[in-house]
Amino acid sequence: MTGTLDLPTKRQEAWKWSDMAALEAAARSDHTAPDVVPSALFLDIEGPRLAFIDGVFDPTHSRPGPVQVTAIGEASEHPLGRLAAGEGWRLSLDKGAATETIQIVHIGTGADNHVPARIELGEDATASVVESYAGTGWANRLTQISLARGARLMRSVRLMQSAGFVSIRDEANVAEAASLVSVFLGAGGMGSRIDGAIRASGTGAYAEMGGALLTRGEQRQEAAVVVDHAEPEGSSRQIWRAVAADTSVASLAARVEVKRHAQKTDGEQSLRGLLLDRTAQVNLKPELEIFADDVKCAHGATVGELDKRALFYLESRGLSKGRARALLTRAFVGDAMDRIGEEAVREAFAEDAGRWLEAAL
Amino acid sequence: MLKIENLHAAIDGKEILKGLNLEVAAGQVHAIMGPNGAGKSTLGYVLGGRPEYEVTDGSVTFAGEALLDMEAHERAAAGLFLGFQYPVEIPGISNVQFLREALNAQRASRGEGPLSGAEFLKLARAQADALGMDQEMLKRPVNVGFSGGEKKRNEMVQMGILDPKFAILDETDSGLDIDALKAVGEGINRIMRKPDKGVLLITHYQRLLDYVEPDVVHVLVDGRIVRSGGPELAVELEREGYAEVTA
Ligand SMILES: Nc1ncnc2c1ncn2[C@@H]1O[C@H](COP(=O)(O)OP(=O)(O)OP(=O)(O)O)[C@@H](O)[C@H]1O
Ligand SMILES: [Mg+2]
Repeated sequence: MTGTLDLPTKRQEAWKWSDMAALEAAARSDHTAPDVVPSALFLDIEGPRLAFIDGVFDPTHSRPGPVQVTAIGEASEHPLGRLAAGEGWRLSLDKGAATETIQIVHIGTGADNHVPARIELGEDATASVVESYAGTGWANRLTQISLARGARLMRSVRLMQSAGFVSIRDEANVAEAASLVSVFLGAGGMGSRIDGAIRASGTGAYAEMGGALLTRGEQRQEAAVVVDHAEPEGSSRQIWRAVAADTSVASLAARVEVKRHAQKTDGEQSLRGLLLDRTAQVNLKPELEIFADDVKCAHGATVGELDKRALFYLESRGLSKGRARALLTRAFVGDAMDRIGEEAVREAFAEDAGRWLEAAL
Repeated sequence: MLKIENLHAAIDGKEILKGLNLEVAAGQVHAIMGPNGAGKSTLGYVLGGRPEYEVTDGSVTFAGEALLDMEAHERAAAGLFLGFQYPVEIPGISNVQFLREALNAQRASRGEGPLSGAEFLKLARAQADALGMDQEMLKRPVNVGFSGGEKKRNEMVQMGILDPKFAILDETDSGLDIDALKAVGEGINRIMRKPDKGVLLITHYQRLLDYVEPDVVHVLVDGRIVRSGGPELAVELEREGYAEVTA
């Protein structure tokens, strides 16, 4: 990275918990030999595969199938998302089409890399996309998603970089009776910012964005999601779990907006934090902005520690303190990971979370 | 096999056990009765190794070893089982997952190999059947949504699976219907009535003792054993109350 970055500052409300210093440090880091190879990150499931090394498409490790690698024109006004321009990938499916699970692996070796992406599903088309981030440096992504009537997208993203920073900006438009489910797992050693703006723009649209952020050491990870219900009978779920150890900080800000016209909206927001050490920090900010009168919006936000009685119950049956803590913590993030529809993907993510716990506890 | 000498224990700075002496020989079942708040559950927790309780004096020897020096999971591996008065609900962890891991952890610390998923399921199903617990409940999260009686049955299923040397059963009979009481009583006899095992049965009622006949009955009042006797002591207590018997 050369030149200066024009980054948001803590004075801006939406960025007050962000760690832009870690992002800048990652952007200015030197390239080093990669600490992981693409084959180690692809799950053993059929389907198209794409690898990006430092943001550059790597054809030798890819068989892109229906995914095109091409310049993406769309612009975003998001302060980080707008930096992701140029060559990226596009998945466009026609009406009624379906694909096998698409896997995309991103490996960074240092400095910064930016990749825009576009997912466009025609009416009743279905797709599943799994993305994995590994390596180091700053990986910055903008993913613009548009789901036509009745389309369904399952999106599973794991942030596993050993260091550096990953920033993800999702902008989605979900039309009538279409369904978007996005699940994120932050279980690496990097800093992160997951940013989402989802617009449920058709009657009966379903939008879900959630996941688990696991932080330790001096790490900071955060997610900031806004779901906007513009039409009646939509539903949304934001189920997020944050687990923080040592002196790390995990932050979740989730917002649901219900426009006057969007009657019978069903919104659920569940933000829960778990402190593994008293020195760690979890920030939660649940927000509802409702202008319609006939809506059902449940929200809850709690931060706590592991239940001492449950810990002793498990230990009294023979589990070591570490294993008892790991089991309870895994159960805690389970609610969020269970939203992943495909078993193989769900299990892989659960294993990543398990490995994090082995190391952290 | 269990010897407690002059045991003093406190929680949050408040002394609850105030010089408790008790010895259970292998092959014996001892019952502990006593008024609410006397310290019966505290004794169970202290023997089980719950960290919030501070032992301020005394010693406990279990199978020749200093029990109080061990961590809770080491006590379990050494063969100690604590049946909880209030079994804990643990969302997100299934009974089988939890118990298989617990059993294999105990086996590992004894130098035994792990049971496979299939082997474990066979064992768990057999124990559930023996205690009259629906096998479906094995798959459910630990105690979540179980009725009071179902939780107690589940404690006994766990005891059957883990097959401990010594069991401290804290009011395992409370909240049980008549059939469950019989099943639990028979379970205790089947699993624990062996020459090399021992049981400490904490109870308020004579009725469990009809099924599991104790060798010795102790009365615990205000952190001490104030009287011990044969099975007839329980009958006397039930008839006359603590005040009369310990006066
Ligand atoms: N954290 C605590 N701080 C202070 N006192 C406590 C604490 N926990 C328990 N106690 C007290 O310890 C005493 C003994 O409690 P314990 O649960 O051992 O009684 P018990 O004999 O099992 O009674 P029960 O028959 O009602 O089950 C009670 O007076 C209780 O209030
Ligand atoms: Mg009690």
